[in-house]
Amino acid sequence: MKKVRKFDAVPKLNGSYKFLDDYTRPNLLYGGFLYAKFHHGKLKQIKFPKKFSKDEFTIVSYKDILGENIVPEPENDQPFLVEQEVMHYGQIILGIAHPNKKKLKQFIDNIEVEYEEMPAITDIEECLSDENNVFGRVLEIKHPAEIGNTSHLIHTKRIYRTPHQEQAYLETQAMLAEYDKEKKEIFVLGTMQCPFFVKSALDAIFGDTIHNSVVETSEGIGGGFGGKEDFPNIIAGITALLAYKSGRPVKTVLDREDDIQITTKRHPSRVEVESYTDPITHKIRKLNIDYRLDAGAFQTLSPVVLSRGVLHASSGYAVEDCYIKGRLFRSNTPSNGAFRGFGAPQALFAIESHIDNVAAQLGIDPYTLRKKNILKIGKEFPTSQPIIENHLEDCLEKVIEISDYHEKYREYKQWNLEHKVKKGIGLSLGLHGGGYTGNGEKILNSKIKLVIEKNADINIYVANTDMGQGAHTTLAQMVDEAIEHPHNKTRVVIPNTNKAPNSGPTVASRTIYIVGNMLRNLIKEVKKELGFDNLETYVKAHQADFPREFRSLFKPDPQAIFDDETYKGVAYKDYSWAACVVEITYDPTTYEINLEKCWNVLDIGETVNPEIARGQVEGGVVQALGWGLSEFFYKKGFGRKQGFTDYTMLTSRDIPELNIEFIHTDNPIPKGLGEIPMDYPAPALRNAFLNATGVGIDEIPLTPEKIFANLEEK
Amino acid sequence: MIALKFTVNQQDIEITVPDSMRLLDILREELNLTGTKEGCGIGECGACTVIMDGAAVNSCLILAEQCQGSRVETVENLEKDKILSQLQEAFLENGAVQCGFCTPGMLMSAKALLAQNPHPSLEEIKTALEGNLCRCTGYVPIIESVQKAAEKLGKDAK
Repeated sequence: MKKVRKFDAVPKLNGSYKFLDDYTRPNLLYGGFLYAKFHHGKLKQIKFPKKFSKDEFTIVSYKDILGENIVPEPENDQPFLVEQEVMHYGQIILGIAHPNKKKLKQFIDNIEVEYEEMPAITDIEECLSDENNVFGRVLEIKHPAEIGNTSHLIHTKRIYRTPHQEQAYLETQAMLAEYDKEKKEIFVLGTMQCPFFVKSALDAIFGDTIHNSVVETSEGIGGGFGGKEDFPNIIAGITALLAYKSGRPVKTVLDREDDIQITTKRHPSRVEVESYTDPITHKIRKLNIDYRLDAGAFQTLSPVVLSRGVLHASSGYAVEDCYIKGRLFRSNTPSNGAFRGFGAPQALFAIESHIDNVAAQLGIDPYTLRKKNILKIGKEFPTSQPIIENHLEDCLEKVIEISDYHEKYREYKQWNLEHKVKKGIGLSLGLHGGGYTGNGEKILNSKIKLVIEKNADINIYVANTDMGQGAHTTLAQMVDEAIEHPHNKTRVVIPNTNKAPNSGPTVASRTIYIVGNMLRNLIKEVKKELGFDNLETYVKAHQADFPREFRSLFKPDPQAIFDDETYKGVAYKDYSWAACVVEITYDPTTYEINLEKCWNVLDIGETVNPEIARGQVEGGVVQALGWGLSEFFYKKGFGRKQGFTDYTMLTSRDIPELNIEFIHTDNPIPKGLGEIPMDYPAPALRNAFLNATGVGIDEIPLTPEKIFANLEEK
Repeated sequence: MIALKFTVNQQDIEITVPDSMRLLDILREELNLTGTKEGCGIGECGACTVIMDGAAVNSCLILAEQCQGSRVETVENLEKDKILSQLQEAFLENGAVQCGFCTPGMLMSAKALLAQNPHPSLEEIKTALEGNLCRCTGYVPIIESVQKAAEKLGKDAK
């Protein structure tokens, strides 16, 4: 553990680091999309504007697809391009390319789409409350226990709701595609999290027409947060089709407005939580959770989000009798997809808010109720996975201590009696399972490669991308620190599907936890096999042996068994843990919440690069507080957000003072980090509002409008 | 078309461009200064911030004609400028760079602030950066970096 600066910080600071739009090619065309501006309907006719000569444009429709018009996903149900029926606003109908960017936009803006409108579900509540909208597999986790008569127990039943959230990476989605006629090869350069996903999308859309597809990432990737996990498949597919048809390189860079309209969002949720709590012991004896997600028009990767959601639904609490049911619901909003947290933030918002509702009903403080029910050694998850450490409780105790929670809890009660502007303090717990769920990593079967060059440089070849989170710096650091090799002689090569083996997607908090650990083990094995103390000396003495390549495969833990049918067993081998306290002030005149302070204590195991780790927590927490306070995308009677003008994220003026501590960093394994900071802060904010006002609002975001409406109701 | 004379990073520029061309496109496409980024195109995110005659502006909202006779400064001027290089140093030192897409704009807003107000308060820094969105860092290390750069510049001046 030492201070290692990000290798890309300097070129990013002087403007020389290249993002996708900074690349160009001779003879380049610009690509764009015609997409539906209605929710559901049958296409009747597309009228091209007469003032343009249509022949100047390259246009692709579903008819130009040479392979299959289905995006490869966990659930293969989404077409690249609309055939007859438009299923959601923003669904792409045509890909269009032209040498002049401005002319392309004018042309697309003037195309008229005639359609026959069909009934659509666009309201989250309408979608999630009607059981006829269920689609896909229903998931159940059963942890039954006979608890006897429940009549003396405190019954609490509430419904919690969360909205869409836009990833809002600062660099919009973008791809550059080229077709090599002679080699019959498609090359795609892009801003993405998962090069091999994009490759399989290209292979699907072209079928046998091409011999090979190669995918590489641009130097810089301007944020991802899940938004560049699966949607790049579609942009790459259509852009490559345009390159194939025109015979010229095509670059598609989405406008912000288009990006917000057509790309995936965080799934809106409706989670019903019902609990039975003993009024004397404060133990939650029975818990029923009905977890619902609005999947959008297609399932795509939603089943996997659902799975993570139900597996995090009971948060950090041990309940004897527990039943969790998870379902996807169909609507006509854009397919919701991956977003940092992946179902866990919705789950934790519900249960962590519920805990405070129960505490209020019992008349005890929220800390005591958490403490009584927290997961610890001897307890188990609803999947029956045993708890092997008390680190969650350690996080709770630490955050209580550093935030001076008990004192403030008392003090603000008195303050609020005497002052108009209220103060509130709220608590939440968080947990996040690292890597793919259940047997996912086994199935992924990741592969890695490193090459020791003649000058003793180590080049790391993996498919995991650095989208700003610092993964390439940290991965290189894990390798060089393991053998005490100079940091500047170790680097991750820009991911390219022809050069790197498939080490899996850059998702699920798995890059450092899975791929990093694989790299560290591999270099240690190499050291043992070659028997060197100093790699540079060794390479100098054995020049003829280098460059030399080393590879390894993911080795699953044979003890970690999960039954996908019954949802029993080890869902995640290693959990990261967290506890959070949020402090707010609330002005009843304007109905506005001000974020004052936020304390975070996390156990993510080893912090390979503490500065990068801290950066992940800072960014994730602010993203989560924005979701809790102001962000939403669509509301019935309000319409859709259009861009950064009306999609309101926190700015530098809105953020609270942040305090972050990592504990149990002596763990030899760095566990998942990227997502957990997004999971837990929103309910702490909501609970702080409850603490300040005595009013528990079970829905986010806590905009002044929503607060006003809730207070009026009461 | 309009014939423009202005300076970019102290260099005289003479160029003829369409009237409706944005300063952002002049920089990126005509002058190949791609350090300035486009994040939204409507002046909301601040990724395209440059300094024009001393003030931080969104270059996506500046049309060609408004550039006439002006002095424009971009992130590429970094090495030649004391305040900018001090800011760069502080950003590097404080881990204020994640994806880097907002970084050039952040630097320019911060530089415009420090050039006018060498000793800003925390609130003044937050206000100066309010028009620059960042989705990775939560702003915390960026604000700290501006504070540290200001301290350092203050010390150097003494």
